[in-house]
Amino acid sequence: MASTASSFDRGRFRRALGGLGAGVRQGTGNLLLFVSLSATVLVVASRRSTWRGPVWAEFMRMLNAVAVRSLSTTVATGLLIGIALVSQAVYWLAATGQTGLVGQVIVILLIRELAPILVGLLIFGRNGTATLIELGEAHTGGWLRQFEIQGLDPMILLVVPRALAFALGAFCMATVLLLSTLLTGYLIAHGLGLIAYSIWDFSDMVQRAMTVRDFIVPPLKCIFIGFFVALVCCATGLGRRDEGDELQRIVPRGFVRSALAILVINGVFDLVG
Amino acid sequence: MAQAARSILSLQAATLGERQLSTTTTRIDLELPRGGATLVQVDDEIDAVALVDLCIGLAMPTDGHVRFLGVDWQARGARERLMRRRRIGTVVQTHVWPAHMSILDAVLVARLYHSDRPRDEVIAEATALARLFGLPGLPVGRRETTPHRALVRAACVRGFLGAPDLIVVQDQALEATADLAVPMAQAIAEALDRGATVLWIVESLAAEAARFVAADQVFRLGDHGLVQVRRR
Repeated sequence: MASTASSFDRGRFRRALGGLGAGVRQGTGNLLLFVSLSATVLVVASRRSTWRGPVWAEFMRMLNAVAVRSLSTTVATGLLIGIALVSQAVYWLAATGQTGLVGQVIVILLIRELAPILVGLLIFGRNGTATLIELGEAHTGGWLRQFEIQGLDPMILLVVPRALAFALGAFCMATVLLLSTLLTGYLIAHGLGLIAYSIWDFSDMVQRAMTVRDFIVPPLKCIFIGFFVALVCCATGLGRRDEGDELQRIVPRGFVRSALAILVINGVFDLVG
Repeated sequence: MAQAARSILSLQAATLGERQLSTTTTRIDLELPRGGATLVQVDDEIDAVALVDLCIGLAMPTDGHVRFLGVDWQARGARERLMRRRRIGTVVQTHVWPAHMSILDAVLVARLYHSDRPRDEVIAEATALARLFGLPGLPVGRRETTPHRALVRAACVRGFLGAPDLIVVQDQALEATADLAVPMAQAIAEALDRGATVLWIVESLAAEAARFVAADQVFRLGDHGLVQVRRR
């Protein structure tokens, strides 16, 4: 009886270990695949021959969608964050008599941490989902085959322009988001009488709190986040190979992967920086 | 061998994968000389698509060789195979169009991608072809807003655009469109005059659309490969 229970436990333990190993192997495999995709995109994008007419056109179309057509959403988000964050920071610092720290609080909270994550989520919501749906029907709709028949490389024509447009667009979005957040925050705090100094003094306070690193790391973070959100969406969309895998299911899948990518990149930059 | 060297496309004992309507392995021998038109009747559409894939290097034969312009598809890497396909025009899957592009862009994309020709020049050539196929001009809308009739004709424009060396035609939608017979025959005749090769895979040799095509060779895909037939 005891021997049966022991062999049962051993079997369960082996199965659990096997499941864990399979999960780790699959995860590692996916990670390596993703790293190789990123490297391939960078190598292909650096070739001059890649940038033919249709590739440029697709890049400009995507950049327009990310940086220009998202402008109103970005400004509106900036307004809301500005009202909530900057005015609260200013209020509580004023209440504790620490208004001199307002620049540092804004730099640490907004510029280093919040803006890149928000930009990543915005870019996914507005453009990543569209990419997921567009590319999600590439295999099943048959037009990926049509591209290959015509000698068009999907990597060059679909993935490279999106990855670079998302990266550059994320930087533009972050700039607009920061400006609108800071401006709104200042106007609200000034309007409520929490601060008395001019907008130039406020701007000076924020800039004095910034180090050289703050002019390099947060923009790089945004660029990387944009790049990886695009890759995640392209890989998830193009990975849908049959009708059985419903289109509605790839959007939440893409969201989970993109959110994970955003947080991992943010964390890596925080650790390295 | 000398004939094979002159061929634009050469299939030598190329084995077609598993077939729908046959249990035997089908070996195909076919030489498409420059400036010639060939009609092949394939009863089953899946087999027809498989034959197209074999010819344009999208699928590899399990046995034998498929050579395009003297080069075996199998001897080339994926990237080079893509580049070589720039010399092939295809009128296949006339209902398939990308979601994120206008029909105009989808027609032009391959030619603009593979050549440095100015966009206006390519548009002018495409517009002339569109008129030949009975369209007032190139459709500029998305696939959802473009009538089926215009999509089929736009697919024809896409296939003949850019003076390809080999034109492969395969779509049952074409065969059902009787009013395409004359423009198709005219486009094929013009392509043959400039030295292109045309391979049209039809479901029925009696198809209206293929009626006026002056084919140099006519085959039917049987259980044991291609059999030469005479058109009625």
